[in-house]
Amino acid sequence: MNKKDFMGRLSSHLGGISWKDREDVISDFEEHFKEGLAEGRTEEDIADSLGDPKALARQLRASILVSEAERTTSAANITRAVFATLGLGFLNLVFILGPFIAIVAVLISLFAAAISVTASGITVFLASIIGPFFPQYYAVLINPAAAIFSSIGLTCFGILFFIGDIYLAKLLYRLFVRYIKFNLRIIKGKE
Amino acid sequence: MNIQFKKGVLELCTLALLAKKNRYGYELVNEISKNISISEGTIYPLLRRLKNDGYVTTYLEESNEGAPRKYYQLTEAGKKMGKELKEEWLTFVKKVNGLLKGGVKDE
Repeated sequence: MNKKDFMGRLSSHLGGISWKDREDVISDFEEHFKEGLAEGRTEEDIADSLGDPKALARQLRASILVSEAERTTSAANITRAVFATLGLGFLNLVFILGPFIAIVAVLISLFAAAISVTASGITVFLASIIGPFFPQYYAVLINPAAAIFSSIGLTCFGILFFIGDIYLAKLLYRLFVRYIKFNLRIIKGKE
Repeated sequence: MNIQFKKGVLELCTLALLAKKNRYGYELVNEISKNISISEGTIYPLLRRLKNDGYVTTYLEESNEGAPRKYYQLTEAGKKMGKELKEEWLTFVKKVNGLLKGGVKDE
């Protein structure tokens, strides 16, 4: 494998990272080849001792995407980071994808619960205002004033629940990024 | 030598080499592979991670050959981390050596 083959394989596995990061990675290896050639080594020798370009690209890509997810909190970034680590080894399916799916599932159900509580509060509120005008459909079981105030309480609780979920999501995000980084240090890709 | 051993000490070796002076990538690879046979490319993902985590910074400097080289320099956090890893390593090696020599003492 000469330099051109090595670089071609390297950059073909660097998809999904920014142009700037990509240039940066390429230039590191360009420099490495240049130094090696200046020492009188052949391109093939340098490429061989560097190792598998595909494996290197995957490791580089994973750490770039993870640090991107760390810098900018977004669902897309963390998803990209998680999937980038999956290429590093079969065990990451268990240690990274597994917990990721679990966390996402828990967050989705908590958000759904918060939204349902808020929606039921609003429904009761509207029903207790509009209801008295349609007595044929509206059976008053409790004092309308009590219904209004309790529905306001319920709505507020739902909104607070939702805000709490946002904080929890942010906290879990930070913890999970740290967890992925810890895994990258331990696993460092397969040989 | 066992591949897991090597990977574990790569970070320690890199930090130790940078603690002496700032170096460029090829130089680091050379110094390490002189002593430990690794696939040389693995140092670049490591350097990138150290940079992302704020343990090293980089700067470009012209070389005699003309092309600029990217130098790696330890930050304060990097120096601290290097020292800690070194301490851990030395303690660990001492204990393992003790075990291997058979003179196991419970502490």
